[in-house]
Amino acid sequence: MTTPAPEFGLVVTLMPNVLIVEVTGDLDHSTRDRLVRTVVTHLTPGTVVRRLRLDFERLTWIDSTGLSALLMVHRHARALGVGLRLDSRPCFLDRLLDLTGTSAYLTAPVEAVDGVSGSEAG
Amino acid sequence: MVDREGRIVEANDAARVLLPGPAGDDRASEDLPDWLADAHRRMVGGPGGTHVNALYGTIGERLFEAHPTPSSDGDVVWWLIDDTDRRLAEASLRSEQERAAILSEVSSTLLSSMNVAHCTEATARLAAHHLADAAVLVSPAQGRRFPLTHARAGGPVTQAVRTVDPATVPGLVEALQGFPPAPTQWINPDDIPAWAIPLGFAGQVGSVIVTQLPGHSEPNGALILLRAGTGRAFTEGEEAFTRQFAARAGAALSAARLYSEQARVTATLMRDLLPPDLGGVHGVEYAGRYRAAQDDQRIGGDFYDVHPGADPTRESLVVLGDVAGKGLDAAVLTGKIRNSLHALLPLAHDHEYVLNLLNAALLTSHHTRFATLVLASARRQAVRVRLRLTSAGHPPPLVVRADGRVEESRTSGDLVGAMPTVSARTEETDLAPGETCLLYTDGITEARGGPLGRELYGIERLKRDLTGCAGMPAEAMVERVHMLAAQWLGRGRHDDMAVVAIGAPKSGAPTVVNGDTRPRNTHQRQRRNP
Repeated sequence: MTTPAPEFGLVVTLMPNVLIVEVTGDLDHSTRDRLVRTVVTHLTPGTVVRRLRLDFERLTWIDSTGLSALLMVHRHARALGVGLRLDSRPCFLDRLLDLTGTSAYLTAPVEAVDGVSGSEAG
Repeated sequence: MVDREGRIVEANDAARVLLPGPAGDDRASEDLPDWLADAHRRMVGGPGGTHVNALYGTIGERLFEAHPTPSSDGDVVWWLIDDTDRRLAEASLRSEQERAAILSEVSSTLLSSMNVAHCTEATARLAAHHLADAAVLVSPAQGRRFPLTHARAGGPVTQAVRTVDPATVPGLVEALQGFPPAPTQWINPDDIPAWAIPLGFAGQVGSVIVTQLPGHSEPNGALILLRAGTGRAFTEGEEAFTRQFAARAGAALSAARLYSEQARVTATLMRDLLPPDLGGVHGVEYAGRYRAAQDDQRIGGDFYDVHPGADPTRESLVVLGDVAGKGLDAAVLTGKIRNSLHALLPLAHDHEYVLNLLNAALLTSHHTRFATLVLASARRQAVRVRLRLTSAGHPPPLVVRADGRVEESRTSGDLVGAMPTVSARTEETDLAPGETCLLYTDGITEARGGPLGRELYGIERLKRDLTGCAGMPAEAMVERVHMLAAQWLGRGRHDDMAVVAIGAPKSGAPTVVNGDTRPRNTHQRQRRNP
């Protein structure tokens, strides 16, 4: 998109067992890989992180390739037993998640595989 | 110090070494190099002591700068400064600059064409012009035949495919395999066969360079450079320069080759992925139109298909979908979806089941590329068209009623290709004569434009605009929707846009349906079997 939207950016905050990634700008085909790479870099096997929070307060747009990135992030986090939360969702993101039937899937709680409760997710 | 008569009256040690002669100080002007003696005569003979600027000349093999300092008694002290090294450095700098200019010309000329034939021709022409008297570019073999490009400095460039034996040119086999070039002294100019000498090459071949044209993954062929006569052999510097030239030419050829290959793949895929021409099938009107994103040449992710029912009593299946992303990956996924759905047609009575089978076929651990689709099963029943509509994560179809109402279908479901299972709710509805069901991709509703330039067209606006389209035939409806989106866009860029309309023919009479043979035949059968 060529609107004078804020440039795409990611701010990563690592708390004891929560990883927070704040997404700014358009999440689309040109930026999606950065989000996936960032999450993959910070969430490696054996991570102590139990929850990944993506903060979309400053998200300006998301397209289908951006949604595919969220699905990839979800798959990666899930494989490591990390719960995913999508915070401060703008209405266009909610609309996209509802339309594509991905809302519940992306934010479903992690099963308590190793005794860790993931009920906070969502 | 030189006196009026041009005799050397005094010289320091350095000057004595430089101008060896009789030991005495009184030496004749013959001992001075001509250029210095001339300047000296001009200086002492000129009116009122002509001022002479610094001048240059050679003594032996070295170059000197001479500065005169006249003294009151008419003698002139000539200061000689050895300038050889600076001049050499300047000359080599000049030639480096020329070479850099040539290389930059080579790059810009070669990279401006993405056509392999043009690029090959330009490489041979530039090589003959800048590096040698003639150049022969041997392109990678096509079987046992080699495309040859001959160029002569100032002459025409000719291209031909010929069966030649590369082993007849020393070093050519290696160069074609991408090995480093053989040093020129290893190549005997007499060994060059006639096919490697451009027509009209004047005189005997004096010296030869054979060099590879390096490619990204495989060599791009080899370049043979020829010079006539014996006096102008390639120097080491020229050989090195040739390698630089070859590297640039090779890179440009690689780019051109990759581009042509990609263009060919794109064309092949496009041929298969282009939306089909629709029409009337079994008493139902279908119309579809696809407008590719104009911002790039890559294949977009929108597609549609109509699979006619085996006979008029069976449903036809309409699929309209949108694959996330663009380019080759999207094209491959699109092809997969279209093929899978074709194979799943016998199960099309259960859309959700079909979507789950499709989802399972698409799931892969490599990526989460997904597709959203709408499945629409349509069957004519008397004058009406019965529809079953299922959205898989896709904007729901719109139904334009005869009275102008526009209804959004209440189907909903999950996208396919990224989640382990999918669910979907199918909605059934009927179209009365003149009513139309519209399937579209988000390229329409996400068209940005309008009075403010960046506003989304949006589903509400589309619905409002469609109220004016009641009763339109399917074909006209599709055109109308594309026009509305185009108007909204203005001159803005857009993504892929696909629209399919399913219409119940207005009069209800079978003959109004598009006149191709298949529907007509089926209608006749329909009459016999009410």
